[in-house]
Amino acid sequence: MGRKLLLDKVGIVGIRSYDVYRENGGYSSVEKVLKTMSPDDVTNEVKKSGLRGRGGAGFPTGMKWGFLAKPEGVPRYLVCNADESEPGTFKDRYLMEHIPHLLIEGLIVSSYAVGSNRTYIYIRGEFGWIVDILEQAIAEAKNNGWLGKNILGSGFDCEIYVHPGAGAYICGEETALLESLEGKRGNPRIKPPFPAVKGLYGCPTVVNNVETLSTVVPIINMGGDEYAKYGTGKSTGTKLISACGNINKPGVYEIEMNISVEEFIYNDEYCGGIANGKRLKACVPGGSSVPVLPANLLLKTAKGETRMMTYESLSDGGFLTGSMLGSGGFIVYDEDQCIVRNTYSFSRFYRHESCGQCSPCREGTFWMEKILWNLEHGKGKMKDIDLLWSVQGNIEGNTICPLGDAAAWPVAAAIRHFRDEFEWHVTHPEEAQRRNYGLAGYAEPLKAGV
Amino acid sequence: MAKVFIDDIEYEVPDGKNMLEVCLSLGFDLTYFCWHPALHSIGACRQCGVINYKDENDKRGRITMACMLPASNGTRISIEAKAAHDFRAGNIESLMLNHPHDCPVCDEGGECHLQDMTLMSGHNYRRYRFKKRTHTNQYLGPFLNHEMNRCIQCYRCVRFYKDYAGGKDLDVFAAHDDIYFGRSEDGVLENEFSGNLVEVCPTGVFTDKTLKQHYTRKWDLTSAPSVCHGCSLGCNILASQRYGTIRRILTRYNGDVNGYFLCDRGRFGYEYTNSKKRIIKALKRVSGTYQPIENGNAFEEVKALMGEGKKVIGIGSPRASLESNFLLKELVGENNFYGGISNTEGNLIKQVIDILKKGKVKTPSLAEAKGYDAVFIVGEDVTNTAPMLALSLRQAAKNKPNEEAFAIRIPLWNDVAIREIVQERTGPFFIATVHHTKLDEISSGSFYGHPDNIARLGHAVAQKINNNLPSVPDADRESASLSSSIAEALLAAKKPLIVSGTSLFSKNVIEAAANVAYALKEQGKDVGLIYTVPEANSVGMTLLSENFVDDAIARVEKERADVLLILENDLYQRIGKKDSEAILKRCNQVVAFENLENETTNSCDYLFPAGTFAESTGTIVNNEGRAQRFYQVHIPRNEVRSSWKWLDILRQDLQTAEAKDFDAIVDELIQKNPELQKIKETAPTADFRIGTQKIPRSPHRFSGRTSMIANINVSEPKPPVDNDSPMSFTMEGYHGIQPSPDTAFYWSPAWNSVQAINKYQIEVGGPLHDGNPGKRLFEPDENRQAKYFNDIPSSFHPSNDELLVLPLYHIYGSEELTALSHAVKERIPQAYIALNENEARRKGLNAEGGKVEFYYQDKKWELSLKIDNSLPDGIAGLPKGLNETSGIGYPFRTKINS
Ligand SMILES: Cc1cc2nc3c(=O)[nH]c(=O)nc-3n(C[C@H](O)[C@H](O)[C@H](O)COP(=O)(O)O)c2cc1C
Ligand code: SF4
Ligand code: SF4
Ligand code: FES
Repeated sequence: MGRKLLLDKVGIVGIRSYDVYRENGGYSSVEKVLKTMSPDDVTNEVKKSGLRGRGGAGFPTGMKWGFLAKPEGVPRYLVCNADESEPGTFKDRYLMEHIPHLLIEGLIVSSYAVGSNRTYIYIRGEFGWIVDILEQAIAEAKNNGWLGKNILGSGFDCEIYVHPGAGAYICGEETALLESLEGKRGNPRIKPPFPAVKGLYGCPTVVNNVETLSTVVPIINMGGDEYAKYGTGKSTGTKLISACGNINKPGVYEIEMNISVEEFIYNDEYCGGIANGKRLKACVPGGSSVPVLPANLLLKTAKGETRMMTYESLSDGGFLTGSMLGSGGFIVYDEDQCIVRNTYSFSRFYRHESCGQCSPCREGTFWMEKILWNLEHGKGKMKDIDLLWSVQGNIEGNTICPLGDAAAWPVAAAIRHFRDEFEWHVTHPEEAQRRNYGLAGYAEPLKAGV
Repeated sequence: MAKVFIDDIEYEVPDGKNMLEVCLSLGFDLTYFCWHPALHSIGACRQCGVINYKDENDKRGRITMACMLPASNGTRISIEAKAAHDFRAGNIESLMLNHPHDCPVCDEGGECHLQDMTLMSGHNYRRYRFKKRTHTNQYLGPFLNHEMNRCIQCYRCVRFYKDYAGGKDLDVFAAHDDIYFGRSEDGVLENEFSGNLVEVCPTGVFTDKTLKQHYTRKWDLTSAPSVCHGCSLGCNILASQRYGTIRRILTRYNGDVNGYFLCDRGRFGYEYTNSKKRIIKALKRVSGTYQPIENGNAFEEVKALMGEGKKVIGIGSPRASLESNFLLKELVGENNFYGGISNTEGNLIKQVIDILKKGKVKTPSLAEAKGYDAVFIVGEDVTNTAPMLALSLRQAAKNKPNEEAFAIRIPLWNDVAIREIVQERTGPFFIATVHHTKLDEISSGSFYGHPDNIARLGHAVAQKINNNLPSVPDADRESASLSSSIAEALLAAKKPLIVSGTSLFSKNVIEAAANVAYALKEQGKDVGLIYTVPEANSVGMTLLSENFVDDAIARVEKERADVLLILENDLYQRIGKKDSEAILKRCNQVVAFENLENETTNSCDYLFPAGTFAESTGTIVNNEGRAQRFYQVHIPRNEVRSSWKWLDILRQDLQTAEAKDFDAIVDELIQKNPELQKIKETAPTADFRIGTQKIPRSPHRFSGRTSMIANINVSEPKPPVDNDSPMSFTMEGYHGIQPSPDTAFYWSPAWNSVQAINKYQIEVGGPLHDGNPGKRLFEPDENRQAKYFNDIPSSFHPSNDELLVLPLYHIYGSEELTALSHAVKERIPQAYIALNENEARRKGLNAEGGKVEFYYQDKKWELSLKIDNSLPDGIAGLPKGLNETSGIGYPFRTKINS
């Protein structure tokens, strides 16, 4: 059994309610920091823990907090990014739904660390019922003195507000999120200035993911050094992985970042193997934005090392042969799945979610979707594959925000690793409509013994 | 200075620029869309991609947007690298995916930045083979067409409209490839500067609807550099014609005046020049109706009327050129010449001129006004009386908050970052007016009161800046505290700006504004003082006038005149009905030089067809004392000509009369008025040549020349010659960069759109290559002793039975000529009389829209009631200059009934 730090208590009946949460040791980290620690102490513990942002980019959280500008007389804000809209990613929702007080507790501690007296949870609009859960948790926390003025007599004031978005994926990008929170159109900003200097309402702001902020609770409770003993290398601690696709046990798993990808897929504690006895074809290990990997490169790196569920290992080999841990949206494809179709599906998503601000992304995603639709429907030509490659190449690295990259990478990886499948769609237009390319002609072996 | 490397060549460039500006200023053809020299960078369109290298060893570099890349020491880029080329071509390719490719039917075609950039990028092969996304277009009012399918989503429109001009009803909607720039629903675009979208939009989304009524391609237009006659600011315009009718107005860039922009009155108010009511031949009234008369006969007859011993007087015009006013004065004699405005107005303008000439405070230009960091408006509704000044002041309001961005080393050009930091904040901005004005939305404190109370507030501010000034007696607590905050804010500013004007007909207001400025100057502040005056050449005409119309009335009342010569002046608009009738009745013969039929021309005996700005050449002097030359666009095929030409012939011996050219008139003018010496320097003389070449009014691609009148005569007529300027009326002449005052259109190889202006500037967004045109006639002298004005008026007390009626101004309607243009006409408000609720109730009126009767000059007037609660008690407001209110002179007192 892997060790758990976030979801260890989700099995407890009634943990969603304040009383049960509190009985099980909840809010002790708030007591600890408000009574015994300075804000800088808290930041230091987080630095020591090696915690990396769980929103996708994996930026060290302690360092981010350390960058926060602290001009006199200017408020600072902490904003929790609960916009989780990346296809394949549903871990934050799970956490907020099952153990909302963990997030609230983490928010109070983190607000104290960064000096935010007004903290916002920017939540995806479709999560209507979770808004209610959070509002209730906040009310309970407030009634019990964990929020409001002068919390625990420490002199620290904090309020938490839940702000639902309107369902735009781009509003998960931190600067678009801030625009949206300010009541404007959710267009990403160009940096600099960074939010740490000029963020919400022109004030220094920290934006962190739900899981990141919740993880602050065990870090404070156990100490940063202790937390850093979990996991491996620069991937300390545990990570929530939302697993889906053709596996036996889709769901959210908390893993310690020291297991292999193979173990995660085939161990019954996690995904429990490929569904219906099929073979593993490919996987998108970190949410729809990261490159898809064929089974052989998924389980072993190009160097032949075992691929681990860590930031470093999943990105080993760069984009040529590796991928990213990203936000932990783990999408598994079995032998029957069509890469062209899936790539089309992702492209459609990115086309729809582009904010429309910069040309390569706005126009490129639109075009890619169309080309992929043609290919998928047997209407493509060979030169479309090159065209697709060229269009994605014009997007990548040339846009204002990373959504452009996120739209380009899956397409690039799909062509890079599965070009034969695209070509087959062109050469077999009718068949392409009837059946999927599957594993035909595709490199062995997929998984020893399966 | 910074050293940068562009394709391995080193350049010294000014500090604080971005690489796109630098490249364009150095003359490179680098493609761009979202960047605009006045709106700066947002890095959205991605069209200006270049390769940026870390240092000389970096051989790969990465694609970076030049407009977002600071041109700091050591910056290294390549425009020419293949990867950069491919990226820019690819970007255009993507922008063109959904573009309708409808250039042949697009009004922008031939002057389209998108066309230019597409060609420049090298993209020429289309790989997209799907259906295009389409949008529905909107009705946006009489000024603009909307064709959203041509949009390339550069965001310039909303950035200009909202961020720059303060508009509220244009925005970007939807997302991804569906984004839409327009209104939330069909309707008139409200903002006074909406017309700039025509030039700001790099494609054919927003185009000029008035041009569409008589469409002509840019290359087929014959244009002249001109000056807007819509208000006193003197914005520079390019006026264009074909087949003898004016087709459109574009901005003529003048870095000292209007820069890249115009207001909608100026842009769309030209259509009166094509009106059916134009007087196009000499007319004589014969038993009640006008009959055409041979020019020669008209001259003979009028001359005979003016013969020996006849009492002849002349009334000049604030909308006619210096030259025309001057010649009228010459013709009738100094003592018989009257400036064509009321004595009240004339004296106010004289006072303004006096302050400009003898004061010690600088009067900044429109462009300089943008650089001040605190504003105090004393009694002027600038949005409606001098619209472009309001646009400048809106920019000034950003300076103080921008400092916060500069403090963290965000340069001004980084507009995205500035917007984030500044948000909606504006700097110190105070307004004292009679009623709520549009700029109140950015003001830090507004005061509404009678002009005397506005003046009192001004005096109180001045006194708080300089304690030696007399304090304002009986000041109420509220205005005392407001005056303190205003004084404090002005003193805290680096560059405070005081704005006032003559629109309230109040000497007290003008004096109070001067006092504030003087007091600030004495505190060592770099203060500016701007006065606006009523009309395009109010200052110029007044410089030539000793007396005004009331003096003329007094004179003819004493002794009838034989002949009255009226120069381009509808007296009813300027001095009211009663006075107009008084003077017209006491002159035996009335001769008018006029553009269009109006109330005054109804009672004349002879009419001479006078040119508007479109058919005249001349000089006018704007509110800051800047003399500027405007040129006739064409020689009309009727008898219309510059008034000074008629006047010049009239004063000569008709037998030997010989038309004098413009330069000769100017020489004569400055010889008699040495203080106007500089008007000669406002433009080259007619004998100026580049090599042996004249300067063309038409582009080299002008078409149809040989066939234009083939239906009348198959042989091509000899082109008309312009003796008054170094310009030809055709495409013949020098097609390089011409002298700024004589540039009739902007064009440079590969640059067909208005953005060709880049090639005419020393650096993009900066002064024109040979300096900005126009000459200021007066400059302040810092060392002069400021003479404070010490008459502090007492507070206004509303009377129980009488109301004081003041003029309220409307950008569309309050100016006589532009109001006759079709598009502008659609925007003129319903006439009304405005009162606050209290006043209305006291007079027994309640419902807005109800009929209100009042008396003006013994005549009963009836208008509908408009409630305006910002109006002070005891004051009513009437919209100035509308049809229903024409013939009213302000201010006046009246009783009203429901
Ligand atoms: C298009 C786009 C969408 C994103 N959506 C989310 C999201 O839904 N939730 C999230 O936590 N981070 C999201 N991010 C990442 C955020 O920009 C940001 O990096 C993150 O919230 C930082 O938190 P962390 O440091 O705790 O990971 C997104 C980024 C991009 C470019
Ligand atoms: S990359 Fe896409 S989502 Fe991001 S700013 Fe540009 S258009 Fe918007
Ligand atoms: S309408 Fe014109 S200015 Fe506005 S975004 Fe489109 S192309 Fe740009
Ligand atoms: S001009 Fe540089 S990105 Fe648009």
